[in-house]
Amino acid sequence: MKFHLYILAGLAICLLSCGKTLDQAPQGVISGQDLNTPENVEKMVIAAYAGLGNDNIHTSFSLWPWGSMRSGDAYKGGDSPGDNTDWHNYEIFSGNRPELGNTDLMWYYLYIGVSRANDALRRVNSLDSAAFPKKKIRQAEARFIRGHFYFLLKILYKHVPFIDETIAEKDYGTVSNVALSNDELWNKIADDFRFGMDNLPETQPEIGRANRSAATAYLAKTLLYQAYVQDDMNNVVSINAQKLNEVIALCDKVINSGKYMLNDDFAKNFLTQFDNSKESVFAVQFSKDDGTPKGRLNMGVALNYPMNKEFGCCGFHLPSQNLVNAFKTDKNGLPMFDHFNDADAKEGADFTGNTFDPRLDHTVAIPGHPYKYSRFIYEKTWARAPQIYGYFSSLKETVAPDDPSFQKIPPFMSSSKNTDVIRFDDVLLWKAEALIQLNRQDEALPLINAIRSRAQTSTARLKYADGTYYSNYKISIYQPGVNCTWTKDFAWKALIWERRLEFAMEGNRFFDLVRWGIAADYLNSYFTSESTKRVYLKDAKFTKNKDEYLPIPLNQLNYSRGVYKQNTGW
Amino acid sequence: MLAMLLLGLFASAQQRITGTVIHKETNIPLVGVSVQSKNQTAITDSSGHYSISARAGENIVFSFVGMKTQILVAPASGNLNVTLESNLSDLNQVVVTGYQTQKKADLTGAVSVVDLKQVKDVPLGNPVKALQGRIPGVFITTDGSPASGATVRIRGIGTLGNNNPLYVIDGIPTERGLNEINPADIESMQVLKDASSATIYGSRAANGVIIITTKKGKKGATRIDFNSSLSTQSYQTKLSVLNTEERGRALWQAAINDGVDPNTASPIYQFQTGSQNGKPVLEKVILPQYIDAAKTMKPADTKWFDEISQVSLIKNNDLTVSSGTEKSNSLFSVGYYDNTGIVKGSSLKRLTARINTEYRMLNDKLTIGQNFMGTFSTGTLVPAEDIVNLALLSQPIVPVHTISGGWGGPAPGMTDRHNPVRLIEDNRQNKSRFYRVFGNAYANLQVLPVLTLRSSIGIDYAGTYQRTIRKSYTSGFLSDPSNQVNTSQDYSGNWVWQNTLDFTKNINKHSINVLAGSELIKYMSQNFFGSRQGYALETIDYAYLNAGSSNKDNGGSGAANSLFSFFGKVNYVYDTRYLLSAIVRRDGSSRFGSENRFATFPAVSAGWRLSEESFIKNSQSFISDLKLRYGWGITGNQSIADNAIYDLYSAIYGTDPTWDRDRGSAYDINGGNSGQLPAGFTKTQRGNKFLKWESTTQSNFGIDYGFFDQKLSGSIDYFIKKTSDILLTPPSLAVIGEGGDPTVNGASMVNKGFEGVVNYDGKIGDQVSFSLSFNIATYRNRITRLPENSLTAFPGNGNDKVIINRSVNSFYGYVADGIFQNKEEVDNSPAQNGKGIGRIRYKDMNGDGMINGDDRDYIGTADPDFTYGFNAAFSWKHFDLSFFFQGVKGVMVNNGTKIYTDFSSLWPGTNWGSRTLNAWTPDNPSSTIPALTLVNRNDEGRFSTYYLEPGSYLRLRNVQIGYDLSYLSNRIHIKRAKAYLQSSNLLTFKSKKFTGPDPEAPNSTYPIPVIWTFGLNLSL
Repeated sequence: MKFHLYILAGLAICLLSCGKTLDQAPQGVISGQDLNTPENVEKMVIAAYAGLGNDNIHTSFSLWPWGSMRSGDAYKGGDSPGDNTDWHNYEIFSGNRPELGNTDLMWYYLYIGVSRANDALRRVNSLDSAAFPKKKIRQAEARFIRGHFYFLLKILYKHVPFIDETIAEKDYGTVSNVALSNDELWNKIADDFRFGMDNLPETQPEIGRANRSAATAYLAKTLLYQAYVQDDMNNVVSINAQKLNEVIALCDKVINSGKYMLNDDFAKNFLTQFDNSKESVFAVQFSKDDGTPKGRLNMGVALNYPMNKEFGCCGFHLPSQNLVNAFKTDKNGLPMFDHFNDADAKEGADFTGNTFDPRLDHTVAIPGHPYKYSRFIYEKTWARAPQIYGYFSSLKETVAPDDPSFQKIPPFMSSSKNTDVIRFDDVLLWKAEALIQLNRQDEALPLINAIRSRAQTSTARLKYADGTYYSNYKISIYQPGVNCTWTKDFAWKALIWERRLEFAMEGNRFFDLVRWGIAADYLNSYFTSESTKRVYLKDAKFTKNKDEYLPIPLNQLNYSRGVYKQNTGW
Repeated sequence: MLAMLLLGLFASAQQRITGTVIHKETNIPLVGVSVQSKNQTAITDSSGHYSISARAGENIVFSFVGMKTQILVAPASGNLNVTLESNLSDLNQVVVTGYQTQKKADLTGAVSVVDLKQVKDVPLGNPVKALQGRIPGVFITTDGSPASGATVRIRGIGTLGNNNPLYVIDGIPTERGLNEINPADIESMQVLKDASSATIYGSRAANGVIIITTKKGKKGATRIDFNSSLSTQSYQTKLSVLNTEERGRALWQAAINDGVDPNTASPIYQFQTGSQNGKPVLEKVILPQYIDAAKTMKPADTKWFDEISQVSLIKNNDLTVSSGTEKSNSLFSVGYYDNTGIVKGSSLKRLTARINTEYRMLNDKLTIGQNFMGTFSTGTLVPAEDIVNLALLSQPIVPVHTISGGWGGPAPGMTDRHNPVRLIEDNRQNKSRFYRVFGNAYANLQVLPVLTLRSSIGIDYAGTYQRTIRKSYTSGFLSDPSNQVNTSQDYSGNWVWQNTLDFTKNINKHSINVLAGSELIKYMSQNFFGSRQGYALETIDYAYLNAGSSNKDNGGSGAANSLFSFFGKVNYVYDTRYLLSAIVRRDGSSRFGSENRFATFPAVSAGWRLSEESFIKNSQSFISDLKLRYGWGITGNQSIADNAIYDLYSAIYGTDPTWDRDRGSAYDINGGNSGQLPAGFTKTQRGNKFLKWESTTQSNFGIDYGFFDQKLSGSIDYFIKKTSDILLTPPSLAVIGEGGDPTVNGASMVNKGFEGVVNYDGKIGDQVSFSLSFNIATYRNRITRLPENSLTAFPGNGNDKVIINRSVNSFYGYVADGIFQNKEEVDNSPAQNGKGIGRIRYKDMNGDGMINGDDRDYIGTADPDFTYGFNAAFSWKHFDLSFFFQGVKGVMVNNGTKIYTDFSSLWPGTNWGSRTLNAWTPDNPSSTIPALTLVNRNDEGRFSTYYLEPGSYLRLRNVQIGYDLSYLSNRIHIKRAKAYLQSSNLLTFKSKKFTGPDPEAPNSTYPIPVIWTFGLNLSL
């Protein structure tokens, strides 16, 4: 019997001591508090930078599905309008709806970028500057990244909830997308860049970090957008001269910093070996063979390669016929402002019989011309659905199949080539735009001509082995009194044209059109003419006072339970 | 005269009748069977043998507790072997109810006992699948996928996360299901459905408990049982898809409908279009010489489904050796299951072995034993589900091979999906090796005659090892010049330590039993992988990590949790009439913070055996059993992420960005374009330190009945099951960023339901005996409380349309209101983006003249009206026949395959269903399928009533005919033998309105296969 008692006693002791067994440390993860050391806070700033490139095949942070495809410069592409229908609905506008999945996904991914920046910023703020000497700089970097994501949100959705590091997470749901007015929201974004301008060093030891000029330039861009004052219906009702003056001053700061200049060859902006060139003010850094499963590739453009043997998928984002025609030049080497679209340049002799701005062959893959300056000739068979979308495809975001930065990730492919967020040519043209709007068009002339001169000399890579050029290039600068009359109206027309050609297919154009207040007229007339060539565009219609911005995603409206308000017209 | 009489008497004189009595289901000799002739009673010995004197022609009665009594005529030969079958309605049957056993008559909870003889020959590999439809209130769904398990729902959906029941095998709880258990090893199976019976298993028992007891050696001679079966498995129904010419015709029609030149609709198909009465007519579909620019693929008419599927062969063999003495018993079994797979290249081979032993010592006061099972299986890693899906998506014009023997693949205008035959051939060398060890060792000590102490240590560990090579390929416009070898291993499982004290005492009419115990469970899992690229050879013999030259990658992770519980139970019976049972269990889980770690779960139940009351017993003798039962109890649920209480970050360097965004935190801040990158941390979870146990309170009202000496018997149960503080992780507002919103204790819901079962055993004449069994069950689900923090977890818009007072299985979407027939209808309808003739008209639910997201509403639920099953078994001489029907009535299913079968615009680059040929045109206005189009202007993929279809079905789940060969035992040295032929899923009746292949698996591309089996059971 005693023996039995021993067993019972033993059991009882064990049972009591077993309570501790429920203390189970999480495996392989780290708590938020453990990250508040200077070393880990540095890492959290890196994580915020990583957010810049964490986009997806359907949600390109380059904004091509919204900024380029919807601007008259590009078609969706793919195998048919039914392939990635969300994009088709964007392209024709009439099919756009608040429930489209890509609208929600893009919103979410951009806010992930914001939240990473806020997370890093809170941690930087919590450190003492004695323990963390770079406190101010890292604060400014985190705010720069946050400003960047809010800028993208702002031009896509107009009214978005502004959440900064001072708002507790539990209160996020109470912040409405209309808590701030249109102007106040721009001010918040400008504040982040202004803080960067005031606190970032002129040069950072790591090339990928934002520096003072990057923040200054982004501030200029923000103020330029803000200067075109919109009413509640998205109409541009006035232009704020004071903001424009500020834009000019900020652009001058960047120009006078001496850090940046135009590359001698336009091509260098679109070749991996010239990543972070003198012209790149701020770029998203991509990499491969870097220890990640497939590389940190530019996934936002992964569907934009043609359908040949070396690539194979998926033929999205194709230059429109209208865009190709826009590269035509007249006998003086100036744009054919009024008659560029009278006849189509499609293939073969069309490109030797007419004259063109050389930027055409940096931008558009044309049947019979070498692809991306390489030994591969772009053939008609590389096009995926030519009967619907024609034969052209896009070049700036791609690399040649034998480029070292090229990477297959079946069924897709991309590269480790950087994406420029701000380039020096953009800075020059912002300044030119502000000057013209302030009736100082004569001061804008040399800026626009600088861009054109560089284009003029950018033909070295556009030659066959025998020295003949792919196309017949003829481009000249504007010479008032010689080949043009440089009035404000003419200068404005020239600027609009210059921006289109310089940044074609780069995801800006639609936002330019909205900023200038001409989106409805411009796009509806484009649809009228282009739908005679591309039948599916017969369904396209831009509704004024609505389509300037995407709708607030239906999911977010629902989840917010009435805190968010839908955009005008939706 | 007297001499004559004496002579006559001696003519039919007493003789010795001898033989063996065997248990019908297990083929094991029965010890202690009472054998009765007119003037003698004998008992079978340890080898089931008996000897009795009787006259030839006289009746001999064989009876045994828990078995149906057999009355047989004494043969002149003197040899009479007998098989007895178990009698489930027998009230003395012993049932396992949680750390102990009880007589069925004394049960007060809702416990169902599985009739194993009905299911033991069903060749499904997974014993749970065979239960489908046989137990009321246990709803099992499977699909035809070779790899699929079974989804088991006991009494509806009780919570939002894990709804799987808990399995208890030989007393050891596991959540792993029964996939790896050899069905031949199972002795008994019970389902605890209500809280008053399940609460003893506490946490994890809220969804019900399935208890399995494996076979043990029985007292008697050494025995050998051998079962062998061979089955074929094939698809009888599948999605009907277009052939090459039909795909062209559908495309032409879509283009014509769109007003587009059909010759611009595809880079491949061309058409000769004529005109009739001013309308275009298709005269000819013209195929190109090659479908790709490189001229490697000629147009084909590939039947992809036939290319990838085959008649599968399942071989199942198992051998059991058992023996028992007064002091010990042992059982050893091996089973081998080989399924070649219905998708070519897929296969699963599984070896299971079991050793159960038990030793009795110290005058039987101490029992020490163990149950131990090992499983080892090898499966090919052919991605079977993808392959079946791809076989439906691939266009028939694509050839399997190019003209030079390479792989065919997508051509321009097609979606970027793989050639499924290539996936088979390039993966068939890749194998996954799996092992699981499961078992326990225990000791029972009878401390006092009334007090037993039991301690048991159990283990349940499993692991997988995979070494795979991904070959390089070119297949249409898809190609990958790189190859990769990946080797991975994982290892997970838990140990369980249980201690119980059992006190039993009978005093006069009082019978009392008290159980107290504790249980400790520690779970862990760990895994890692390594991969390299750049392999010179693409053979599996070369495919080791060392042989790769580039892109070395590796990773690994782990998890852990633990549970600790005390429990106690009191059973009290007075005079076999009044039954009372009370349980209390205190559970602790590492998943909750220290304040909420423990919770207490009580249960009480009572029963009244009316049939034992004298007013029935004496006057209503046709009532053999009548019991009223009531039970109430609370069970807990802790199935959330191990670390849900914590705010967590992970050092995610980078993730595969092919389809989903990179979640990593590495960044090329130095602009080096390659090499090791600086990296940070990614937020993976927001914690909620206030999380506490979810709990389910259940009341059960039951009646057990039996009439005419249990010939007619059954039970009826009604339950109310309320779940509160449901643990859920609601979708979050995007501004919160990565990691999402934390897990919360959210909504409450209630399930109410009814279950009934009726059995009848009868005879037709002397020769034919039969048994019939019918069951029916139903439940209604309703969300009763919806706090703000869980609003987004349910269908609805979060504002005026919330799911409160509706079923959690509600469908929320648009109402499709037919097809626009003409321009007038289009013009006079509310504004609807993309509307047009031949398009789906959606209903303007809020009457604002506009069709948009606000017009979505609750449009049905996935809850069936009721589910039912009917089993009939007959035996006649050496033959037995059984069939089993199972059905679901009044259920709505979301037939997602319509996206593919009905539309040319929703997935334009794939093949389409044959239904597209019957789509709406002005000449075919009665069609319910919208007009074909190449562009989905009307957003017809939106979820609407168009996709909801009645999913009721009635299926002949099993039919079996058996022939007993035991009479051969005189001639050859066997104890028993039986041969049978059976078929599963032979017949299905479904609603005409259901357009998919199989209402049971409406969203799976796998139909349920038809299985034919021939088998042999042998005992030596």
